[in-house]
Amino acid sequence: MEISWIQAIILGLFACLASMPGLGGTSIGNYTLGRPLIGGLVCGLILGDVSTGILVGCAMQIVYIALVTPGGTVSADVRAVSYIGIPLAMVALKSYGLDAASTEGAGLATSFGTMVGTLGTVLFYGTATINLLWQHIGWKAVENRQYKKLYLVDMGLPWISHILCSFIPTMIMCKLGANVVEVIKTTLPMDGIAMKTLFTVGSLLPCVGIAILLKQIVKGAADFIPFLFGFVLAASMGINLVSATVVAGMFAIIIYKLKILSARKPELAGGVMDDEEEEI
Amino acid sequence: MEKKLSKKTLLKSFHNWYYGHLTCFSQEHMQTFGYLCAMLPLVEELYQNEDDKANAMNTYTAFFNTEPQLGTVIVGMTAGLEEARANGADDVDDETINSLRAGLMGPVAGIGDSLVVGTVIPILLGIALGMSTGGSPLGAIFYIIVWNLFAYLGMRFLYFKGYSLGGKAVDFLIGAQGEALRESVSTLGGIVIGAVAATWVSVQTSLKLLNDAGEPYLVLQDKLNDVFPGLLTAVFIIVCWFLMAKKKMSPIKVMLILVVVAFVGVLVGFFDPGLAY
Repeated sequence: MEISWIQAIILGLFACLASMPGLGGTSIGNYTLGRPLIGGLVCGLILGDVSTGILVGCAMQIVYIALVTPGGTVSADVRAVSYIGIPLAMVALKSYGLDAASTEGAGLATSFGTMVGTLGTVLFYGTATINLLWQHIGWKAVENRQYKKLYLVDMGLPWISHILCSFIPTMIMCKLGANVVEVIKTTLPMDGIAMKTLFTVGSLLPCVGIAILLKQIVKGAADFIPFLFGFVLAASMGINLVSATVVAGMFAIIIYKLKILSARKPELAGGVMDDEEEEI
Repeated sequence: MEKKLSKKTLLKSFHNWYYGHLTCFSQEHMQTFGYLCAMLPLVEELYQNEDDKANAMNTYTAFFNTEPQLGTVIVGMTAGLEEARANGADDVDDETINSLRAGLMGPVAGIGDSLVVGTVIPILLGIALGMSTGGSPLGAIFYIIVWNLFAYLGMRFLYFKGYSLGGKAVDFLIGAQGEALRESVSTLGGIVIGAVAATWVSVQTSLKLLNDAGEPYLVLQDKLNDVFPGLLTAVFIIVCWFLMAKKKMSPIKVMLILVVVAFVGVLVGFFDPGLAY
């Protein structure tokens, strides 16, 4: 399977839109086009094999479903996962003769995705650093009261950062796809230490994402109980995510009512709250 | 005559935020430029005098970063406050606006991250993955439509709600009611994040001890799961939390530690993803 220049260019454009901080905005860019599942659909459409694209996208999405980027820290770059990882994995599957729906196929796809995603964080920091230049122009504009320039700074000039850090790397990696896959095949064999480490890192990284989210909620040991409660619902009781959300919603309502009550009648509700804590 | 922002200008301001809040991101200023672009149409409509414009715009040069979807409510509120200031309200100045922005961006990020990133997106993706099993584009299309409608309409609602409430929204967000709301949302988020972690994150060890006949007599992963299903995953998450929250390590450092842990783990045979061509 060969990726043509035109296809590589289109993939490069999507990488500009989909990255975080991307030019599609976060809702359409990062949270839609950047999700590997959607990236799978887009890459599938561009490369003319939607079903393989979706299968590869699904495999990568499972690794990154819990991967979040609060506070501007990323542990994997979505543009690299979705628009370099997925096309390369599709090429690799063809070159190895694997079926994307098989376990080996999904394993190959995931390891390509995590490898590219982890290395791709360089692109994130590159983009953010180059943006400092445009922001410098922006501060000058504010100083000189040329406010119209702010639009150029916020929405125009970052294209340059993305041409350098999203468009060119994606286009070249995809265009060279077959060769890159060949190089990876020979230098990083699947059962070698490097590939095993990369894959293991891929399964550990979502822990950081979850932990970053928890940092907002959990201040002390007792705050871990809701988290562990949800964990038990899914891991021990086998309840699926939507159902777990309903259970969580019930608890949220109880807590909301209790808190409102305690705001209105502090002395009465104070006792209620104590009982609650003892039960835990 | 009282100045009133037109619907058209408010929409322009909202769209500038909706699209541009993070397009020019840097670690140093994050969403500050997105905020300036959101306020510009409002300032231009409210003030004719160049000095007044400059005065207003300078207010928004202060650092800003929050969860962008839910954070729309803050942008809406400052639109309301800026309008009040242009009409000569005495109690609205640089300081009130900026202390409000600074005071809200933390709590809103807390609710927003647990609600949007921790709950809504993983759930939608989970449903979408189920629909796309076998290579069907249905799940992807479902996610594109549902998420984008939710994000656009939700943010638009928040913007105009914030605008009409203005400073009054503060009571709702950080008053007694806001406190109750935050507690309940963070419990909701905590439970769902736990379920997301158990469903989608999987840290497993491949460590096995074999007897003379080559039969494994100890499969560590099974033993650990007997103690508490998903124990290893939970332990890794809690250790990451501990390093960041208690040891004040940056996520990057924690990731580097994980790379080392993964490497050593693979060397000693603790981790083996079982890959083969």
